[in-house]
Amino acid sequence: MILKVVIRNLLKHPFLNLVKVIGLSLALTGIVFIALFLKNELSYDSYHSKSDRIYRYTITDPDFLGGKHFARTINPGYIPELKEAIPELENFTRLMPVRGGLIKYEERFYNINEAFECDSTFFQVFDARLLIGDKQKVLGNPASMVVTESFAKRVFGETNPVGKVLTLPAGQFYGEQQDFTVQGMMKDFPSNSHFYPDFITTPGADQFANSWAWTYLLLAENANPENVKSGISVYLKNNRETNPEEMDTQVHLQKLNDIHLKSHKLREIEPAGSLTNIYVLTIAALILLLISISNYANLNMGMTGFSAKYMFVNKLLGSSKYSIASYFFIEGLFIVVTTSILSLMIAFPINSLIAKMYGLNLLNGNTFSVAVIVLLFNLSALILGMTPVVSFVSSLFRNRTKRNVSPKMAKGRVSSALIIFQYGFSIALIVSVIVISKQTRYALNSSIGVNEDNIVCFESVHSSIQQKFKVLKAELLKYNSIESVSAMMEPPGGEANDMFPFEMEGYKTDEQNQEYDRIGVFPCDYSFASIFNLQFLSGENFSKKNTDADGSGEYIINEAAMHRLGYSEPDKITGKEFRLIFSAPGSGIEIPGGKIIGVVKDFHLQSLKSAVEPLVFFKRENLWLLNFVISYKPEMQAQALNDMKTVWNSLFPEYPFQYEHVGAMYKKVYKAELLQARLLSVFTTIALFISSMGLFGMALISTQRRVKEIGVRKVNGARVSEIVTMLNRDYLMWVGVAFIIASPVAWYAMNRWLENFAYKTGLNWWIFLATGLLALGIALLTVSIQSWKAATRNPVEALRYE
Amino acid sequence: MIQLKKIDKYYDAKFQRTFILKGVNLEVKQGEFVTIMGPSGAGKSTLLNIIGLLDEPSAGEYYFWDEPAHKIKEKQKVQYHRSHIGFIFQAFHLIDELNVYENIETPLVYRSVKGKERKAMVADLLDRFNMVAKKDLFPSQLSGGQQQLVAIARAIIGSPKLLLADEPTGNLHSEQGEMIMKLLKKLNEEGMTIIQVTHNEDFAQYGTRVVKLIDGLIREDYQVENRK
Ligand SMILES: Nc1ncnc2c1ncn2[C@@H]1O[C@H](COP(=O)(O)OP(=O)(O)OP(=O)(O)O)[C@@H](O)[C@H]1O
Ligand SMILES: [Mg+2]
Repeated sequence: MILKVVIRNLLKHPFLNLVKVIGLSLALTGIVFIALFLKNELSYDSYHSKSDRIYRYTITDPDFLGGKHFARTINPGYIPELKEAIPELENFTRLMPVRGGLIKYEERFYNINEAFECDSTFFQVFDARLLIGDKQKVLGNPASMVVTESFAKRVFGETNPVGKVLTLPAGQFYGEQQDFTVQGMMKDFPSNSHFYPDFITTPGADQFANSWAWTYLLLAENANPENVKSGISVYLKNNRETNPEEMDTQVHLQKLNDIHLKSHKLREIEPAGSLTNIYVLTIAALILLLISISNYANLNMGMTGFSAKYMFVNKLLGSSKYSIASYFFIEGLFIVVTTSILSLMIAFPINSLIAKMYGLNLLNGNTFSVAVIVLLFNLSALILGMTPVVSFVSSLFRNRTKRNVSPKMAKGRVSSALIIFQYGFSIALIVSVIVISKQTRYALNSSIGVNEDNIVCFESVHSSIQQKFKVLKAELLKYNSIESVSAMMEPPGGEANDMFPFEMEGYKTDEQNQEYDRIGVFPCDYSFASIFNLQFLSGENFSKKNTDADGSGEYIINEAAMHRLGYSEPDKITGKEFRLIFSAPGSGIEIPGGKIIGVVKDFHLQSLKSAVEPLVFFKRENLWLLNFVISYKPEMQAQALNDMKTVWNSLFPEYPFQYEHVGAMYKKVYKAELLQARLLSVFTTIALFISSMGLFGMALISTQRRVKEIGVRKVNGARVSEIVTMLNRDYLMWVGVAFIIASPVAWYAMNRWLENFAYKTGLNWWIFLATGLLALGIALLTVSIQSWKAATRNPVEALRYE
Repeated sequence: MIQLKKIDKYYDAKFQRTFILKGVNLEVKQGEFVTIMGPSGAGKSTLLNIIGLLDEPSAGEYYFWDEPAHKIKEKQKVQYHRSHIGFIFQAFHLIDELNVYENIETPLVYRSVKGKERKAMVADLLDRFNMVAKKDLFPSQLSGGQQQLVAIARAIIGSPKLLLADEPTGNLHSEQGEMIMKLLKKLNEEGMTIIQVTHNEDFAQYGTRVVKLIDGLIREDYQVENRK
């Protein structure tokens, strides 16, 4: 019986009920995905069964490369000794990146995205499922490799990989050719792992002594990390420092689970996730929850008026408070069940979209979590959405006559508060979207070489290719589609971390400390400045006179370096004698002395989050030019790429032809921000949509309730415009109030967000003005549709007998 | 002043046309006090709505203040509603959200009468209707009769030239009813043209003329002999 009435009443107001369901569904879908994404982010690396005991070990030293904090540890050959010295240290494993990006199998090169040379203890520290092989033995010998399932499939197809021999080619960083034998195969690492190598292997010989490696320590159960830290400090002091009195090496241990979100060191395995993203998304989810449920409650409350008569007559006929409450409960149940079904229908296509774009299948294996979220959401919608209705029902039973049935006054105030609150959030969200997009665009546009986006980069090419840079350049420049060819030590968006001691005419260094008075260096090819359009404040680009002979070296510095060297006028520093001092035992490399020949304006190679560092650019034959950059005539893109391929394949037939546009490389640098901007704009749209639908519904309800009043006013000589103004006025006022409340909050939040950047766009007043106008415009449009309809209605119809 | 020539009003249902008014001819001169009588459903309210420019006839010609009604623009209609016409509805139609005082004040607001003046005018009427004590109450807190009084007060406060009263005394006891009729008569004597609908033969005697409407046709139209 109740069910019949419920269904009939739901169908009587199809539009308003649709508004309820759509609002709730959009929010629920959004919340499900945010929650799953957060779950993925927050559970990084916790799949290792010993994750709470694993720490990553790093050191900093103010005398070493300016005290920069690297994620890797230098020369970690001594780590095994730590294990002997410190009882609370149960185990360790070191991961050394396999460089060069290529591995050879049966005369073909294969790309490797990520791979490590590691200690045989890898499987004692980390968890990984071995498909072939025994964890205890598989890495037991030198040059034993364990490949992942997908890598094996790529290289060996369906055949058993065990016993296959892979060859790391010679050359990169002066290493020698090295063979590895596959001993096992493991499952691919999950998406919430901060590393996912194609393979791991034990080194051929112990190369850890002179290298950089990410070092992970497994502490004994119940060990105190502070003890381990001080144990390491003591060890370093006694065994490694040249003069123990002046020990200023700092030891750091970072929990494995913290690496993904909290570690922002140099040379991470993969760029860290963004904690800001986590906050932003959490807030977005909360806002969605609040907006959608308040919207639902608001519409519920507005619609009680429609069923008031039914309620009242029922009451007269003797039904109890509970049967009336159960009517509303069943109605609510109907709504949330429909909502859940609709959400699921939206969720699947969205999930496959996310999977395609970000390689993250969020719904996969999360059925239980999804069920919990949906249940909780429905429960809160049901309870919070019912509350105002229940208070209406009880007021119905408190008053004995029909006269006070419509709970007018109190209701008006509550719904206005809810609308203020919804619009406040929407306004704050819009401001955030604008600011974040603006800053990201600013950052991208300030990066070098992205404006025309006609520059491609061959990142970290193999050393045997580096040696042939000159040939490649000469060959490429024969094509008229190619504009310019250059090379640089770090790729666009990379970190220029290396620093050398130096000498400069007129610059006084403490003789004693010369080793520590260093400046950032950046080897590059002649055309570096021209290909990226760097602006010379003084002097000029490298000339042909630059040679490796001492005295004829040419140096270009950036503005920051000029200030670092104690000058403020570019013209004064050009022409000064300058030399970098480089000493790598046995390398035979020496950088020739020479002059500073030019000063360029500071430019952003790295992310705008960090300040521009002083840099000295120099060119030396075939040295450290790891990344090739090639610019082409923008209108000849297809031709140019084709020409590059032709040249590449003729010069380096066995190496894959692999390049990336500089613009795309910078987009990777700002991946977190771009994602934030995109997600936020999606959620802002949803929030604004829900709020506006709610407003539309409220306007519909209130004009329906005011039909008679509007008629009366018209009969008394009110113009249509006056009626519309009257109906709109309140809503606009509420949006205005929402704006006044939301603006300072948004201003504060965005100021905090911008603090992430060393270089930022301002928070202009126009952002707020535009947002306010936008919100007002949307609200006005939404409400005016109703108001106009109501105001132009023939009053005779409205004033027909009640 | 008001002239209806062969006015028809009908509604088209699926297969048939229902006539509510059929060939109504009626002329009302300035200063008249016309009473329209007739059984329920005869079309009295419909006729009043047409006269008051709230509804349009389906056929025929209607001259309002000697102007053809179908040529009156929406804007001009609003002006007439502001300054020429006062309405008392059968179902009162008070605004639930406004209290007694504000309800009465409404037409003055649309006529842009100044606040002070408004106050004085409303106070005067409240006094006349013995409603001063009720001025802060909302319609839902009034009896049917009190609501009717408020509706009447609202209709006459702007001193319209034409007052259209649809059963103004329907919910009043006879004493109150007579009071209202006397008031209307006085207003009529002061120059207000009044067209009222009533079922009460006695109250018809307060007017100058009676029109009997049956099934959309004018059956009788005569001057009142012994006006009360
Ligand atoms: N929009 C409409 N559609 C169809 N019929 C209508 C419409 N409006 C009014 N009617 C019909 O027109 C007829 C006349 O209505 P009207 O309100 O004018 O009667 P009345 O004479 O005022 O009656 P009462 O004395 O009961 O107030 C009625 O039968 C009514 O059902
Ligand atoms: Mg009637």
